[in-house]
Amino acid sequence: MPIGRDGWYETTKPISVEGGIQARTRRGSIGSTWWSRRFIDILERVCDKGRLTRGRAYARKGQVLSIDLSPGLVRASVQGSRPKPYRVTIRIEAYGEERWASIEEAIAAQAVHRAKLLAGEMPPEIEEVFAALGIDLFPRDLDMDCSCPDWGFPCKHLSAVLYLLAESFDDDPFLVLAWRGRSREELLGSLADEPAAADLSGVEDVPFADRLADFYAPGATAHRPERRPSAAAPDLLLRVFPPPGDLARTLTPAYLRLGDS
Amino acid sequence: MLVLHAVWAGDGLAFWAETPQSPSSPATTPGTPRHHPFAAPLHTLADALARTGLDAEADAGAVGSGRVLELLLPGSVREPVPSPETGRLSEVVRPRLRLWRVPAVVPSTGDTLRVLAAHPATATVRHWAAVAAFAHDLVRRGRVIPQLVTAPAAAPAGNGDPLDRRAAPQAGARAVWRPVVTGADAGYARELAEAMPPACRTAATERPSGAVLTEALDAFTDALVRQALDEPLMSGPKTLEERWLAALTGPDSSCPDDPRLRTELEAWREAVTRAEGATRVCFRLVEPPVPDAPGGGVGWRVELALQAADDPSLYVPARTVWSGEQLTGLPGRPERELLAGLGRAARLYPELDRALRVAEPDELRLDTAGAFAFLRQAAPLLQAAGFGVQLPRWAGRSRLGLKLTTRTRSQAAASQGFGLRELVDFRIDLAVGDETISEEELAELARLKVPLVRVRGQWVELDDRQLDAALKAVERERTGELPVADLLRHVVQGDDELPLVAVDADGVLGDLLSGQAEQRLRPLATPRGLDAVLRPYQERGLAWLSFLSELGLGGVLADDMGLGKTVTTLALLVHEAAETPTLLVCPMSLVGNWQREAARFAPALRVYVHHGGGRDAAEIAAADLVITTYGTAQRDLEALRQVEWRRVVCDEAQAIKNSGTLQARAVRAIPAPTRLALTGTPVENHLAELWSIMEFANPGLLGSRQRFRSRFQEPIEARQDEQAALALKRATGPFVLRRVKTDKSIISDLPEKLEVKEWCPLTPEQASLYQAVVEDMLGRIDDSEGIERRGQVLAAMARLKQVCNHPAHLLKDGSRLAGRSGKLARLEQLAEEILAEDEKALVFTQYSEFGTMLQPYLAQRLDRPVLWLHGGLPKKTRDRLVERFQRDEEPMLFLLSLKAAGVGLNLTAANHVIHVDRWWNPAVEDQATDRAFRIGQRKNVQVRKLICAGTLEERVDEMIERKKALAERVVGTGEDWLTDLSTQELREVFRLTAEGVA
Repeated sequence: MPIGRDGWYETTKPISVEGGIQARTRRGSIGSTWWSRRFIDILERVCDKGRLTRGRAYARKGQVLSIDLSPGLVRASVQGSRPKPYRVTIRIEAYGEERWASIEEAIAAQAVHRAKLLAGEMPPEIEEVFAALGIDLFPRDLDMDCSCPDWGFPCKHLSAVLYLLAESFDDDPFLVLAWRGRSREELLGSLADEPAAADLSGVEDVPFADRLADFYAPGATAHRPERRPSAAAPDLLLRVFPPPGDLARTLTPAYLRLGDS
Repeated sequence: MLVLHAVWAGDGLAFWAETPQSPSSPATTPGTPRHHPFAAPLHTLADALARTGLDAEADAGAVGSGRVLELLLPGSVREPVPSPETGRLSEVVRPRLRLWRVPAVVPSTGDTLRVLAAHPATATVRHWAAVAAFAHDLVRRGRVIPQLVTAPAAAPAGNGDPLDRRAAPQAGARAVWRPVVTGADAGYARELAEAMPPACRTAATERPSGAVLTEALDAFTDALVRQALDEPLMSGPKTLEERWLAALTGPDSSCPDDPRLRTELEAWREAVTRAEGATRVCFRLVEPPVPDAPGGGVGWRVELALQAADDPSLYVPARTVWSGEQLTGLPGRPERELLAGLGRAARLYPELDRALRVAEPDELRLDTAGAFAFLRQAAPLLQAAGFGVQLPRWAGRSRLGLKLTTRTRSQAAASQGFGLRELVDFRIDLAVGDETISEEELAELARLKVPLVRVRGQWVELDDRQLDAALKAVERERTGELPVADLLRHVVQGDDELPLVAVDADGVLGDLLSGQAEQRLRPLATPRGLDAVLRPYQERGLAWLSFLSELGLGGVLADDMGLGKTVTTLALLVHEAAETPTLLVCPMSLVGNWQREAARFAPALRVYVHHGGGRDAAEIAAADLVITTYGTAQRDLEALRQVEWRRVVCDEAQAIKNSGTLQARAVRAIPAPTRLALTGTPVENHLAELWSIMEFANPGLLGSRQRFRSRFQEPIEARQDEQAALALKRATGPFVLRRVKTDKSIISDLPEKLEVKEWCPLTPEQASLYQAVVEDMLGRIDDSEGIERRGQVLAAMARLKQVCNHPAHLLKDGSRLAGRSGKLARLEQLAEEILAEDEKALVFTQYSEFGTMLQPYLAQRLDRPVLWLHGGLPKKTRDRLVERFQRDEEPMLFLLSLKAAGVGLNLTAANHVIHVDRWWNPAVEDQATDRAFRIGQRKNVQVRKLICAGTLEERVDEMIERKKALAERVVGTGEDWLTDLSTQELREVFRLTAEGVA
């Protein structure tokens, strides 16, 4: 509860930040995939509504200066109303080598995990793997701490960081596993390397000097394109490759309109 | 007339133009590039652009920014080599690359797209139009992805172009739409880059085509998406992301930068472009190995595999991928591609998850319902998303249908006496493929309620709608007697729910429906009175035409060009010797040809040409064959409707391919007991045209246009529905006869080299020019003697031949080519037919300047490559042209100068040779013809010589033919012997007779 009108820890506005990390969503809830919802759910279970709202507002305003994820530990710094940013830490249990060895073995036993992770998704089936070993992938509770003097728990700084963390998980499900102690490279081994995309830079041109007599004419292989019947819905790309965040909601109607152009 | 070019200027497409005026020499400052001497000045250029494609309402100032480009162009020190489209011959002997200053206009991208669509006259503009069309195709298919870029504003600002990147504001970033070019699209993009004319990518330096194409494609794509999205994605944007979304539509692409969003979007784009790389995941539905009871439950599986994107025949089952064997030929990282592809596919086909519950998935097991769901739902979705899908052969084909059996009653019925009114017995059964099934079997199938059943060893897709239709069908009357005509109509029009899958008929109906009536009928020998000997396939064609006529049915004779549709048609008229005349409607350019062919092959036939000012419908009654044009038929429709015709024939029936046109309606409105359409283009590939031509030949038989579209056209064109294709073949097969030259039985009937003369009319413009030249030259010849006279005679000949080619060839004024020459019109028709048959032709002219005029014109009209080989080309270039012509599989024309290409070249890829103008030296012409007709030629070669009717071309040709018959003495001497003729004789040779004028 506020102590007085000039209580520095409560009603003063935070110092505004240039270039902080901003939440993408403007309104409504944050976290669009089932796996990031898991974190938001924990937060929303333990935190009162007012603080949640302020935390979301912080996340959207860009008050979070940095987030750093390492096995078992997330460190962040959040600009509040004091000049010195608050330090936020969120800890979960990072599993040791032995446990990971059995997890990896179980993941390797079913292609669905690798397939979906490679396609940018957290396979729901992965929870079964952890459950079978008697451990959790998603924490039941979070060991959180913030250097702010706010009495409430979790404070708006913590919730701002959790919101942003959830958004990162949306985009890269591997981060959830990295927090538990295994990086993408360690998990996928040689499968992790990205293949290179093809482009047009490799086209070999006939030098102008050899084309002086037909400078205005097409080159040696002007084929007409095979017009492929376009049975595909124009929003197919969005369905096969979901865009970051919840952009699909806004973009889908736009893609559908392209089909009429 | 300006010759408009387009070159990529880095920040937009720059248009510049050459003027027809002779070069001026503007002052230049030493040390700087010279001004292009015949480039159009900025104001002329802007005017021309404003006229061609730009919105007339846009104010003149908004046409785009003018600037002066420095371009590397080949030329001499004094002037660049003119582009072929100018029609000017270059005097530069050894061109070198130099920088030239060229005034140019760079319109906004939106305006650029409009200009490209409206003005595809030169090779450079055509190339950019192809790039724009490609961009449009990508946009339409949703192969685009929005991005956030920080690229700085590149070029001078202040051009007022809202869609252009140069308008980028201080905010520092822009929202852009980029194309997603993967798989087959990537292959096409590469071809576009390789085909880019140097003049499209020239600048102060040689720019790589790949980079130029990428930049242009980016710009076009962004502009096209913005044109399509006319409503904002986001209103009242607040966050950075929302401001980016808002900037994705409308004219202003600027928005603040957001490094995080930018990185995420880049990663998204990477994921999209990488995913469709070298290989793709493929799904193959495999039937149960041992079929159990009908509808029996399990054993279906979907085999998982990887396929090379550029070579689908390189198919590696997942099992092999996991085995770790050396995968020869499969590019990329097979295991990763397989897993990532399966992960993406599972989003579209969640059932797939089950298969992924093992470490090394290689198949998905399905029950019957699952297999049916895969066939009908998952397979099309996966295919559309770029995955490979392979289905059993019967998929989409073996459905429940009807079988019609008919039997004639009398033994004599097989003769042609009774025709369509004859009553026959019929029976209708339910069938799968060729197998009929009983009512009991049907009831059993209905009871099983499974969508995939095995009927007598064959899998059948059975959906509820079809099953209902079948159950209803068995309750209706299924046996009885009907006239042949009714049954024919039933077969052709069919049933929407239950297709006719098999027909077993005898007699006339059997002959008709077999689609092989031509083979079954007894060939009709060459009729007495026809001054030709029909080849065996022509005798069969005659029998077929006669058979249809006697039944009162119309036909479409669509034999390959050169197989003699004209002589077969004339044979039909001679054979039946009808009391009433046949009306033949053809394009103007063919009237003379028909007239001459009729006189030659059927001299007893009374022919009347109903055309031109002096036409008189009263003469029709006395004729056997009345030749008219589509235009005249339309104008004189009322008179022609009054005549009692034997039949109406439409030659070049493509002319009525649009059923709604006045011409098409006019010829349909002329009553006739039977009709015949002649066409050399493969009608079966153009379904809308097929309907229109059939509607002429047999009105109403195929049903309405709408029904045809929903029943045949859409299933075949959009879904490649094989059953619909089969049904269409059954419906039209009886009425369309198409033999192709490549058919073995036809080849053996054909001579290896077939020479035909084609008579073309003069346009009124050509005729008056011709007349003027004759008067002028005869005067001069009369006034001169000796060597001078010889010179005048040869000059007169040359000028008259030029008039016959084209007025612009004589005038050399760079004026337009379309619609002014009968010969050119015929050349275009022939070229269209040849290219439509996927073949190649050599086109010879003795005039290099005419070839230079023809090349860009034909390339644009035909939308196919037209190569041009003449004496001005270095050997290296000639070799490249020849190499391309021989190697490239695309149908194309090769224009050749008779002098430059008469000997030495091996051009066996062509099986058509057209001589546009005549050298009157058979030895030279034959030598040229032999470029195509020599060792290595595997097809029959058709040679055509174009001759303007009623002109010196026709008369000299006759003289040569006569003299050739008497003695070979003039042969081989070219045109010189003409100079010895007296003025009176020359007057006779040069004289223009009225019949030659259109």
